Amino acid sequence: MLHMRIPVLLLLACGFFFGASARADAIPTTSLDVTANGVDFFYNRYIVTADGNVKVRLSDGTVIRGETFTMDLKLNRFLVAGDVHVDGRGIHQAGAALAGYPDLDRTFFLPTAGSPERYTYFGLNWSDPHPGREQPGDAFYFPDLTGERPYIKASGARIVPKTDVLFTWARVYTAGVYLPTPKYVVVFSANSHFFENAFQGARFDVSVPFNGSANSLSALHLRNDAFNGTYLAFDQHFVWDNAYIVAAVDPLTQEQRQFNLLGYDRWTPKFESRVFLQESAGSPGIFNEPLNAAAYAQVQLNAGLHRSGLSYTEDNYWQYLLGIPNVQDDQIATNFYSPAWREHPMDASLTWTGFENRLAHIPILLFKLRSSLGMAHDIYGYGGFPNEQPGPPSLYYHMLGGTLYTPAIKVGRFALNLSYDRQKTWFSLPHETDLGDSRATLSRGFDREKIHSFLTYEVRTTDDYWGAAQPLAYPAYYPNPYTTPFGTYTGLDAFRGLATSHGWTTGNVFTPTQYFSLNLQVSRFYDFPVPVPGLYGQPPWQMTADVQFRISRFVRVDVSRSQYFNFGNERWSPQFGIQFSP
Amino acid sequence: MMRRMPLVLAAVAALTLALPSLARPQGTLISFTGQLLDVRNGYVYFTTGDAFKLAASLKIADYDTGASTMLQPRPKLFARAVLDPATKEVVELDLTSRRLKAETAYAPAVQQAIATKPVSDRAPEIVGVPVTGKEVAVEFIVTVPPTTPIGADVYISTDAGGWNPMEIKLDRIDGSRYRAMRRLASGTKLALRVTRGSWTSVEVGEDGLEPKYPHYFFVREVDAQSYPITVYAWSDNRSGGPQAAQPGAVPTPFNPNPFGGNPLYPPSRATPPGGFPTPRPGAPPNRPPG
Repeated sequence: MLHMRIPVLLLLACGFFFGASARADAIPTTSLDVTANGVDFFYNRYIVTADGNVKVRLSDGTVIRGETFTMDLKLNRFLVAGDVHVDGRGIHQAGAALAGYPDLDRTFFLPTAGSPERYTYFGLNWSDPHPGREQPGDAFYFPDLTGERPYIKASGARIVPKTDVLFTWARVYTAGVYLPTPKYVVVFSANSHFFENAFQGARFDVSVPFNGSANSLSALHLRNDAFNGTYLAFDQHFVWDNAYIVAAVDPLTQEQRQFNLLGYDRWTPKFESRVFLQESAGSPGIFNEPLNAAAYAQVQLNAGLHRSGLSYTEDNYWQYLLGIPNVQDDQIATNFYSPAWREHPMDASLTWTGFENRLAHIPILLFKLRSSLGMAHDIYGYGGFPNEQPGPPSLYYHMLGGTLYTPAIKVGRFALNLSYDRQKTWFSLPHETDLGDSRATLSRGFDREKIHSFLTYEVRTTDDYWGAAQPLAYPAYYPNPYTTPFGTYTGLDAFRGLATSHGWTTGNVFTPTQYFSLNLQVSRFYDFPVPVPGLYGQPPWQMTADVQFRISRFVRVDVSRSQYFNFGNERWSPQFGIQFSP
Repeated sequence: MMRRMPLVLAAVAALTLALPSLARPQGTLISFTGQLLDVRNGYVYFTTGDAFKLAASLKIADYDTGASTMLQPRPKLFARAVLDPATKEVVELDLTSRRLKAETAYAPAVQQAIATKPVSDRAPEIVGVPVTGKEVAVEFIVTVPPTTPIGADVYISTDAGGWNPMEIKLDRIDGSRYRAMRRLASGTKLALRVTRGSWTSVEVGEDGLEPKYPHYFFVREVDAQSYPITVYAWSDNRSGGPQAAQPGAVPTPFNPNPFGGNPLYPPSRATPPGGFPTPRPGAPPNRPPG
C-alpha cells in the first residue's frame, strides 16, 4: 500500500516544487549582487554605477555580465550595457543592453543574435521574450552624472531594491578624503523605522552603518555629548513592514552604559503596541559584572476606536537590579540608600482621545475631548522631582479635558484663529489641578505670499488646588524682598499655587525666493509670579531670528539665534544653531 | 588639351575610388547624435534602444576634429553617426566622451534606417508622466493641532534626507499652519513624515495610532506645487492636552506637577509629614529617551 503511494507522493512533491518555482518566477528580483572593477555611489542622486567586468547576480541566480551597470535607487530601475551576457535557468542570451524595471515586473533586453529587436521578459520568467513589445522610451538611458563626485567607491554592492545597499571594501568620502571601511550600508527605504533609535541627545552623532539586509541594519556611532565626552555607541535594527526592534548600547566605550531595547508592532490596523526597556549599568568592561544597575520599562498600547482612540501607558522603575545594598537599618535613609527605593515605582494611565467634532453643526466651531484614568505607586522612589519629597505609596487620579477652536476665519485680508483648552485633574487626595489656555491669532500674507505675519495673544493659567492645605503646600517660602545676584525682587510671597502667564508673540516670515527665508519671532510675556533670574521663570522679552539660505543645489543652511534682552545676564543665546539640509 | 583629358579623367576616377565618401553627393548623408549602448555584430546600438547597421568601411573619428581617434566605441560614449540613406548604413561614427545634446526625434530618413524590428505589441503597463527634471517651486503646508505651542519647532523628515527628524524646518505662518518652500526637480518622489525634531515626537493619526505609511509626494511637471499635510496629534502627546500624564508629570502630594519639571514657576516647599528625606546621591540615569 505504501509502495503504491510513493509515486503519488513524488508526483505531488514535483507538482508543489514546480508550482513554487512558477510562483517564484512571477516576482521581480529581490536583490542584485554587483561586482565590477569599480562600483560608485552618488549620494545626492541615489545612483549606483559600476564599470569594467560587471557581474550582476539576481535573486533567482541569473547572472548578467556586461561592461557597465547603473541603477537609480529611487526610480528602482537598473541597466547593464555593453557586451551583455545573460545566463540563468532558461536563458543564455547575448545582447547590447538589459534594463530591469522591478516595479513594472519587466526586464527589457536588446539581443545581438540575429537582426536587432526588442525583448520583454515578465518578472524572472526567462522562457518567453515577448519580441516586439513596446518598451519605455528611456529604458536604456544612462543618468547624467556630469560634474558629480561619488560619495562611495567600492568593489561590490548588494542592492535590496527600495531598501538599502551594502557596499563591500568601500571608501567613503569624508572631509575631502576617501576613508576605507570593509563594509558600508546606505539605507534609502521609505520605512522610517530603520532610523528609530533609543540614543540620548548628543552634540554630534556620526553613524557608520556597516551591515544590513532587507530587514536589518547594524551601525556604529561616533558621538559626543556634554556628560560622556566623545564615545562609541552601537545599535542593531530589525525592521518589517509593521514592526521593528532596535537594540542599542550607548555609550559602548564608557563605564556607565545604557542598554536599550525598543519594540513596536502593529498587530491589527487598529491596534499597536510599543515597548521601551532600558538598563543603566556601571562596569569597568562591557562583559564584566556591573557594579550597579538600574532599569526602566515603558509599555504602551494604542487602539483605534470609533471616532476616537484609547491609549494605555505604563512605566516601571527598578533602582537596584543587583539587590538592595547592605544597610544596618533598611528603614533609615542615608546618603546612599532610601527606604522608598525598595519597592519598584510604577505609574499607569489609560487615556481616551476623541476626534475633531463640530459644535452644534457650526462649521467654524470645532472641539476635541479627552479623558484619562491613572495611578502612580511609590513614584518618589524614582527621585528626580524638584523638591524630592515623599508621599503616600499610591495615588489615583482622573482627568477631563477638551479643546474648542476654530480653523482660520477670514476677516477681510486677515485670518483669525481662536482656541480655548481646559483640563482638570482630580486626585485621590483632596487635590486637583486646573489648566487653561486661551489663544487668539491674527495673521496675514503680504506681497503675494512673500511675507507672512501673525500676532498671537495667549493666556495660560495653572491652578493647583489643595483646599484647606493650600497654605501648607504653598507657604511664603522666599523672603520678601528677595535679592539675587541680578537684582532685588518683591512679591514672591504672594504666590499660593495659582499662576498666570499672558503674552504677545509676533512672527514674521520673509520668503522673497525659494532660496532664502528669514523668520523673526518676538515675544513679550507678563507672568505671575514674576520671573526671578536664577530661580525660576521665563525671560519677559524673547526674540528668535532664523535664516535659511541655499548654498548649493543640494545644501541649505539654517542659522538661528535667540536674544533674551538682559534677563539675568542672558542676552544672545549661547550659541548659533546651524543645520544643513537638502 | 585633348591629350590631357584622359589623364584628368583618370585622376578624378582614382580620387573618387580612394575617397568613397566623396563619391556620394554630400547632401544625401545625414548625421545624428546619441549615446552609445554597444557596437556589436555589425550594428551600433544607441540608448534609445535603436540599432543601426554599420557599413563595412565604417570610419571612426574624433567628434571635434574629425581626425582619427584613440577612442573605441563603448557604452556611455557619445557619438555623431553619419548615415547613408541609400544603404541605410552608418558610415561614420564621431566619438566623444563629452555629453552631447540628445536629439528628441530622428529625421524621417534616420527613422527609416533603424534596423530594430518595429514594435508590434503595445504594453499597457507602461504608463507615466513625462518629466524633465526641471526645478519646481514646492510649498509644504502643515496644519498642526491647535494646542501645539506657538513657539514649537516643526520639521519634515524625508527618505531622501535619510529620515533626519530635523531635515526641513518649517516656519509658523498663522495660528495653525507651518510652511516651507523648496525647489525640487520634477519627477522627485518623496516619502515624508512630520516631526517636532525627534522620533519621540512625530505625527500620529487622529486615533493616536502611528500612520501605517508615510506621506508620499511626487513633484509634477509644473511651475509651482503645494502639498498640504494635516497633523492630528504628536506621539509624545496623543491626547493633545497641555500636559500629558506621563513620568515626571504625575502630581504627587506636596509635589504638584504643574510647577514641577519646568522652571517656569517656583515649586511648592511645604515640609512633608516626617520631615524632608535625606538628599539622594544624584538623579539615576534611567530616564526615558528624550
